[in-house]
Amino acid sequence: MWQALHEEIDPLGVTVVTVALDVDPVKARPWIERAAPTHPSLVDVEHRVDDLFGISNVPMAVWIDETGTLVRPAEAATIRPSPYAAIEITDRMPERMQQVLTEMRNLPDTGEAYRAAILDWAQRGADSRYALGPDAVIAASRPRPIEHSRAAACFELGRHAHERGDDDAAIAWWKQAHALFPENWTYKRQAWTLASTPEGADSDKAQEVQDVYGTSWSDEFLAVGGAGYTVTPDL
Amino acid sequence: MLLHHLTVPVTDFHDGTGWEAKPEGMCKGDVCVPVQGATTTDGMLDVGRVAQRLGMALEEDPVAGVWALGPESGGRALTTAVAPELELPDADGNPFRLSAMHGRKVLLVAWASW
Repeated sequence: MWQALHEEIDPLGVTVVTVALDVDPVKARPWIERAAPTHPSLVDVEHRVDDLFGISNVPMAVWIDETGTLVRPAEAATIRPSPYAAIEITDRMPERMQQVLTEMRNLPDTGEAYRAAILDWAQRGADSRYALGPDAVIAASRPRPIEHSRAAACFELGRHAHERGDDDAAIAWWKQAHALFPENWTYKRQAWTLASTPEGADSDKAQEVQDVYGTSWSDEFLAVGGAGYTVTPDL
Repeated sequence: MLLHHLTVPVTDFHDGTGWEAKPEGMCKGDVCVPVQGATTTDGMLDVGRVAQRLGMALEEDPVAGVWALGPESGGRALTTAVAPELELPDADGNPFRLSAMHGRKVLLVAWASW
């Protein structure tokens, strides 16, 4: 998907740079090999882009102009229409699945508008109405209280514990990170998938981790609802 | 940023946090914050002092003997619109620097396997 967009906008002067947030780079590799990117495709084991740009879920993106100035803050980056509208929800489905699909339909369907905004910026540069000035881009980024800084530090200590093979310690640090910054889904989904993925399997997205974290992806997704799950681009 | 000591070379701190020690203070992009006694004459930086001034959380893991430093806080997620340097490897370990893209527009997209 991002490779196709890159091929479309690269001639207009925009380079797509993808960053995989995976504490275990081996998990990202098969996806990267399948995409065969010709654009820079990076791996960020420390989730540094959370600290540096305010990324808090995936997919999210920022726009940077030719002078190295941010012109849009971190926001949900889908470039296709939502596939969930086309899924029929029936009574024959388990109740939980009905609830999750209902909330997925409530995810803001900004894919087409966001894609159009990218193309407008690619063609018009600073004259694009989607390219924000420096003060506006700062103001449009999310507030960062000290708790979010503490969460980042706890997440990093958890990653360091995971790296040295002490997963009990990692889980304890990551639980602290989740409590301090509940709106950061990269900390939660990253930690949960490590607890729920069988050895050697692809990353598990169901993330039913009641026994480890006392929660699950669907519990927390339903709690915030589709509308609260992403940072919706204000276009 | 992971730390093994609370006094680090100013260059390491810059690479890890985006904050650079300058005569006018600690600077990130076009923003500078004066910090008394942040650095020593031999190019070392007092992490605790800078962290307190910039609202960076400093968490200690006494078992592992390390600290982690969170990003600056108290304002917005972006302190400045000047994009920080970002140095990351690709899947084969080749280093990439965001500053190498100067002169091009960049759509920086975060994704994950999970």
